[in-house]
Amino acid sequence: MDFDFSVITDHWRFLGYGVLVTLALSVASGLTSLALGFVIALLRLHGPRWLRPLVVLYIDSMRAIPVLVVLVWTFFALPIVAGVTLPPFWAALVGLTVHLAAYAAEIVRAGIESVRPGQTRAALALGLSRPSVLRRIVLPQALVRMLPAFGSLLSVTIKDTAIASVIAVPELMRQSETVAGQSFQPIEVYTFAMLVYFVLLFPVTRGVDRIYRRLAHLGRS
Amino acid sequence: MTLDWSVVWQHRDALAAATGTTFLLTVATMVIAVPCGIIVAVLRLYGYAPVRALATGYVELFRNLPLILVVYWAFYVLPILTGTGLSPLATGLAALALNVTAYNAETFRAGINSIRRGQLEAAMALGMSRAQALRRVVLPQALRRITPVLASTWVSLFKDTSLVSVIAVTELAYVAMQVRAQTFRVLEMLTAMAAIYWLLGYPQAKLVDWIQRRYAVTE
Amino acid sequence: MTLDPQRTKAAGAAIVRYRDVVKRFGALQVLNGVTLSVHAGEVVCLIGPSGSGKSTLLRCTNGLEMLDGGAIEFEGTLLPRDERGLRAMRARMGMVFQSFELFPHLTAEGNVAEGPRSVLGMSTAAARARAAALLAKVGLADKLASYPSALSGGQQQRVAIARALAMEPDVMLFDEPTSALDPETIGEVLSVMKTLADEGMTMVVVTHEMSFARRVADWVAVFDAGRIIEQGPPRQIFDAPEVERTRDFLSHLGWSG
Repeated sequence: MDFDFSVITDHWRFLGYGVLVTLALSVASGLTSLALGFVIALLRLHGPRWLRPLVVLYIDSMRAIPVLVVLVWTFFALPIVAGVTLPPFWAALVGLTVHLAAYAAEIVRAGIESVRPGQTRAALALGLSRPSVLRRIVLPQALVRMLPAFGSLLSVTIKDTAIASVIAVPELMRQSETVAGQSFQPIEVYTFAMLVYFVLLFPVTRGVDRIYRRLAHLGRS
Repeated sequence: MTLDWSVVWQHRDALAAATGTTFLLTVATMVIAVPCGIIVAVLRLYGYAPVRALATGYVELFRNLPLILVVYWAFYVLPILTGTGLSPLATGLAALALNVTAYNAETFRAGINSIRRGQLEAAMALGMSRAQALRRVVLPQALRRITPVLASTWVSLFKDTSLVSVIAVTELAYVAMQVRAQTFRVLEMLTAMAAIYWLLGYPQAKLVDWIQRRYAVTE
Repeated sequence: MTLDPQRTKAAGAAIVRYRDVVKRFGALQVLNGVTLSVHAGEVVCLIGPSGSGKSTLLRCTNGLEMLDGGAIEFEGTLLPRDERGLRAMRARMGMVFQSFELFPHLTAEGNVAEGPRSVLGMSTAAARARAAALLAKVGLADKLASYPSALSGGQQQRVAIARALAMEPDVMLFDEPTSALDPETIGEVLSVMKTLADEGMTMVVVTHEMSFARRVADWVAVFDAGRIIEQGPPRQIFDAPEVERTRDFLSHLGWSG
């Protein structure tokens, strides 16, 4: 059983492109799901009453449906319903955003609700308006408290981009499949992919942990 | 655009069997991953240094890899390692078990650690061995904190079984997409697939919420 | 209401007037018809057993809780019920909480400057200058850049007092300001409060610190089960209480005059 890792170097450009796409998709969907998650959480907490059950339905649905199913549906079924065909990368971005935003929304909500009500009282007692209280006093503290959960959500996001290989997005997983299939050296190729993902993911959770530890006192009221 | 939803009904037997496989995979994985998770957690907390390092390495490795990659890797590597060919189902199960064991190990470790050290010390001061103290004093308390997390892991696992479809395990996602390929009823089958997962997953998610409320720890 | 000859500062304008204030929490009657006035420059201390409604009265004063009956007047105007009106009044009242409630994501300076900046619309520079002056006044000039997590309880409470003062309020409301403090640090907070009183600030103080009330208060109201059972100058309340319940309460606290 001998391994020939030259297959990696032979295809480094192809595989490197996959790494770039993985990074791009991770960062993009991370940002969009974060933004959407914030909007949804604020709608749930401070929006019109009738909207709340709809938001809860959406969030719980995303907890029930696998990412794979969301991605496949977005890529194959959405064109039939909406008449618009999204190229693989964009379908993956939309699918991931919709799925992950539900989790982001829950993190935001939990963070905001974890801030002591006394903080709101103290801010109101100074004469701040309710929007100011949220913006200047509650959210800053809540954001610090949300950091660890967001760290693990980022980790999940990067891992979920690998599922986009199923809808032919040329990220690392997909590129690895192609090289493995052509070269008949799946072990070397997939081992390399594992290494890359590990190197990407390991610092993310560690890094977020470290940042949180330094900032935790800003959220402790 | 003509839709023919009857195709879902026509293939209900295949879909039902596939759903059964999904449940089977979930249950089987947990049956393996819970005890193994406890073992790894205990090794990590109380083992000798090299054992602790190995256990930690295992946990950190599998928590930082995409599951779909582990599935592919298992498909190609396990036959070589074990010398025999494993069925896709067994391979999928192995990949899932490896993955979930790591998460469970972390859950158990954090749960055990969250119990104040004084509890263990008090139990051992009574004359209990460490194993006894763990079993009778620490673990029962830790279980309160661990149960909601395990429930959450279960729901995630249920969804993750869809990933073994890539190695042709006949669970729900695979079968639904096969039917789609055969009948060309793309929207109907994919929507049905989503709907079935929703019908199965939604109550499970609500159950997890209930468990989390019931076991909420206020200290 | 006839002026009590012993009430030295009653000649001043009534800053806060409580009239038959009623407040319920569900089935629990927390305030059962409280009538009290607080005049300009007076220090009024509210004492009484826990749960007798003192803190609730304070929170009704700046609209953090809404009344179920009766009325509260601030500087001659009835307390509004709309958020906007309440906000305007809150800016003229300062409140100090038992749990300090400093904003952990802001430095001491940031905490004190927050009100002037967000509510009074002062420029950052002006707000910071005011913050620096007030922090110096409470003895924390060297803690401008410190975060609450780095400050002791007594220091945090002094910052909280400075934060309330930064709004230049017409009345300061203190809700058991020293109850959460270590005995060593209670003194530093009480001395800041005494300085304020000497400077003529109108203060309503809910407290268990009887010696402070005895020394600093101009008027003391004794609460029990949502009512004021006795009110008068500290000499009366502490040395010669007229109501049995007051005597019981004080002796229970170990007060021997």
